[in-house]
Parts: sequence; C-alpha cells; structure tokens
Amino acid sequence: MEKSVNAIMPGLCARVVVNVGDKISAGQEVAVINCMKTEISVKSEFAGTVSQVLSKEWDELQVGNPMVMLEVEE
Amino acid sequence: MIKKLLIANRGEIVPRIIRTCREMGVATVAVHSEADKNAPFLDLADETVLIGPANPALSYLSMEAIIQAARQTGADAVHPGYGFLSERGAFAQAVTDAGLVWVGPPPSVLKAISSKCYTRKLAVEAGAEVTPGTLEPVTSPEEVVAFGSEHGYPLFLKLDKGGGGKGIERVSEPGQAAEVFKRAGSIGQMAFGSPDCYIETVVERPRHIEVQFLADAAGNVVCLGERECSIQRRHQKIIEEALSPVVDPADRQRLYANTAAIVKKMGYVGAGTLEGLRSQDGKYYFMEVNARLQVEHPVSEFLTGVDIVRHQLEIAVGLELPWSQSDIKTQGHAIEARIYAEDPETFYPSPGVISKVVLPQTGDNLRVDHALADGCTVPPYYDPMLAKVIAYDQDRPKAIARLIEALKAFQVEGVKTTISVNLRILEHPSFLAGEMDTSFIAEHLGLT
Repeated sequence: MEKSVNAIMPGLCARVVVNVGDKISAGQEVAVINCMKTEISVKSEFAGTVSQVLSKEWDELQVGNPMVMLEVEE
Repeated sequence: MIKKLLIANRGEIVPRIIRTCREMGVATVAVHSEADKNAPFLDLADETVLIGPANPALSYLSMEAIIQAARQTGADAVHPGYGFLSERGAFAQAVTDAGLVWVGPPPSVLKAISSKCYTRKLAVEAGAEVTPGTLEPVTSPEEVVAFGSEHGYPLFLKLDKGGGGKGIERVSEPGQAAEVFKRAGSIGQMAFGSPDCYIETVVERPRHIEVQFLADAAGNVVCLGERECSIQRRHQKIIEEALSPVVDPADRQRLYANTAAIVKKMGYVGAGTLEGLRSQDGKYYFMEVNARLQVEHPVSEFLTGVDIVRHQLEIAVGLELPWSQSDIKTQGHAIEARIYAEDPETFYPSPGVISKVVLPQTGDNLRVDHALADGCTVPPYYDPMLAKVIAYDQDRPKAIARLIEALKAFQVEGVKTTISVNLRILEHPSFLAGEMDTSFIAEHLGLT
C-alpha cells in the first residue's frame, strides 16, 4: 500500500534527498524543510520504495503536506 | 534629497527606516510578499506594493519585482535594509542602472568585496592584521598539507565567495585535506558559483569586536565606536553592546585608524561595519566587512546620538559628513537584546500567530525596534528575529539593569521566544563582569 511522508513543520522545501525507485528504511531522512532559516530533517516512519516525489525546492509547505509517497509492503 | 524611498525588506527594519524618513520629509514605499500582506511592518508606509509569493526567491530576493515596484510608485531611491539583496553588487547595479539612488556602497565595491581573499589582502595592505591564514585561494590539497605542517591543525577551508556561516570546512589532520578540499570546492561551486577557498586558522575563544563607520564620497570616514557581539549562537548574534568592556582607549585608536585606512582603500561610501576578532592575548584581527545597515546599529546610535539611517540617505545623494572623528562623542553604555521566535531550550523555530504582545515602556533610554501587533502572523519563511530591545544608561551595570527590566515586561503569547535566554545571559555573573567570548552560550548556559 502507498503511504506518504509529510511535512512536520511549516516552511519551504529545502530539498528532497530521495529519488523515485529508492528503497529506504524506517527512520531514514527523505527531505529537509527550511523553517525560519533552520533546516529541519523529515524522516520516514516506514520502510518502503519511493513511488513519487511531490515536493521540490522552494515549495511552500504546511504541516501535514505530503512530500514523498512510498510503496510500503504489508 | 530623496523624495520617495522604497524599502526592499521586511520586518522591524521597515518601520525603523520609515521613522527617519518621516523626520526628513521623505515619502516611503514598503514592499511585501503574499505571506506578509497583513503584516504590521506595512502600517507606517505611505504606499505598499505586493511583489510576489511567500517564497523569498520570488519576492524579497527578486530584483526585477522590486525595481518594477519602484517604477510603479515613482520611488527615486531604494534602501535594501539588511540581509536579502542588501550586499548584492548586481542588485546595486540594477538599481543604479534604473536611474534610482542606491542607499548603500557603490556596486563596484560590493562586487569586489564579495571575494574574501580580496578583502583580506586589502586589509593587510592597509596595515591591519587579518585572522591567520592564506591571502590567496589554495589550488591543491598539497598546499593545504604544506600550510598545516607549518602552522598546525586544525585549520579551516573557507569559501572565497561564502557567507552567512556557510562553506566553512574543518581540516583536523593531513589525511583529511584531499577530501575536504574537494568537498569545499563543490559546495562553493553549487552555492556561490566559485570553488575557490582559502585557509584560516582558529583563533581560540575569541571575542567578536566590530567597528561601525560612516564614509562619504569625499573620502571622509568617521567611526561610531566599536560594538562587542561575543554572545552568539551558531554565528547568530544575541546580545550586542557598545562600547566593549574589554577594548581600551589605545586599542580603540588603532581599530579606528585601521578602519579608516581599510575603508578608504576600498573606496567604500556609505554606512558599514568592519567585523573582527580579539584573541585571548589581546590581539585584534580583521575578519570581514558588512556592507549594509546592521541589525545592531541602534546600539551605536544610542552611544553617539547619530541617526545612522539619516546619514545613509544623505551620503547616498552625495552630501558630505558634517563632522570629523573628533566631533564624535561616545558617552554612557548601550546594550541590545535580540528576541527570536524560537524555543528557549532547543532553539527550534516557532512560527505561528502572536495572540497578544505587551511591549515595555519606551523612552529616551529605552528603544524597542519591532513590527509586532496582537494577532500578527510570524511566517515560517523568513528570519526568526521578532524584535530588538535596546537600553542606554550612564554605565554598563545600569544599562544592563534597564535592559533586564524591559525584557521582564515584554510579553509575547502564541509563539515561543528567547526572552528567557536573554535574561539568563544578562543575569550571569561572568557576563556582568564583562568576561565573555563566543563560546559563552554553550559553556555557561549549556545550550548549543
């Protein structure tokens, strides 16, 4: 099933550090948010394979906005 | 004189600049992003212009949008404030090319001093000492190793075009030289368009001492006292004061002489600051020039009675400074605390809505520079600084006591602030004794 990794702080997307097809583990950093000039690391709760990258640099983010989609094995 | 000034910035510095404009009869234009459309900093401006979305790259950093706003409103001058485009030579050039007055140093000077090696060399030629290291970019890892075997480790590779604390890479032993050299070069190429880096060694436990100056087009330079800004966290200043409790009159005379020599050699015109370090054994090293109005300028204004913004505007239209150095009197003591929208324990950012704000009573000896109001939003897209509280009194202990009293009366609800951190610093016995260096917050407060 597909799960999203969401923004944990409001701000601007600094970068997404994974690509579609990457296999990632639970706890791995997938993106970085720039909130008031501080870089906040966004980590995945799940292990899985990146199916979509939804954010790009400078995107405005609110808490809860999906940044990366993962295909998670059940 | 300037008739209508556009302020290319946001937050507390906008009302600060407007205050002087009103005294001088200059009309004002404030610009803003979508995220700032109801921001209190717009309230005092004669006109406001929406210049783009929240993303600063498309608003406060967009040269085209800002120059278009100036054209649209008939502004004849641009003040860049601090941060954003304030030190970009290309922006200064674009403003000048559009036929507008640029309130800042000449574009050619801004372009030249964007190279730290150029500035370091120039300072040495002017007779100042710079932080030990190379004056030219290093061209190979072997050069780094050769420097290290002569001067020891650790050393730092710094980007020639770097800034804002970015692009400083530590080399702890010769085996790391090749890898760090390569990494620094690629960061420099990506972030600043140049891979050049040079070497600086470490000044252990330095104090941060800087000199505020004004320079006019006729070549007159006056210094408005030094400021001590040793209380910092991750290269971000928290408390600034003037004069420094550690600089003696003979040191000050040398600092002033070096400042005037460097500024003249640069061909610098306008307000600026030379930042430097003081080592534990009392040596002074020039570090860099901040080619703009600085956040902490009110400290020097209290100390000298000079309105720095007024003189920026006068110098920008070619007026000469009305004084020589001997006319500048530094009396009493001034101290500033910056208040950030951050968690006071973790320094984690705290954007949101300020439901209620209570400001301390201001007056001749207490100033609060801010752009806050009940219900205002602190957006997550920009700098976390909310306000500056500046106290003045006849001596340092009295000025500190006045600042403490003001901070205790300052209340902000809805977002977290660092007011309690300021109080912990100001009430600390070492700080009160004037004993500090840039590691103070980590060492005495256990905060990183």
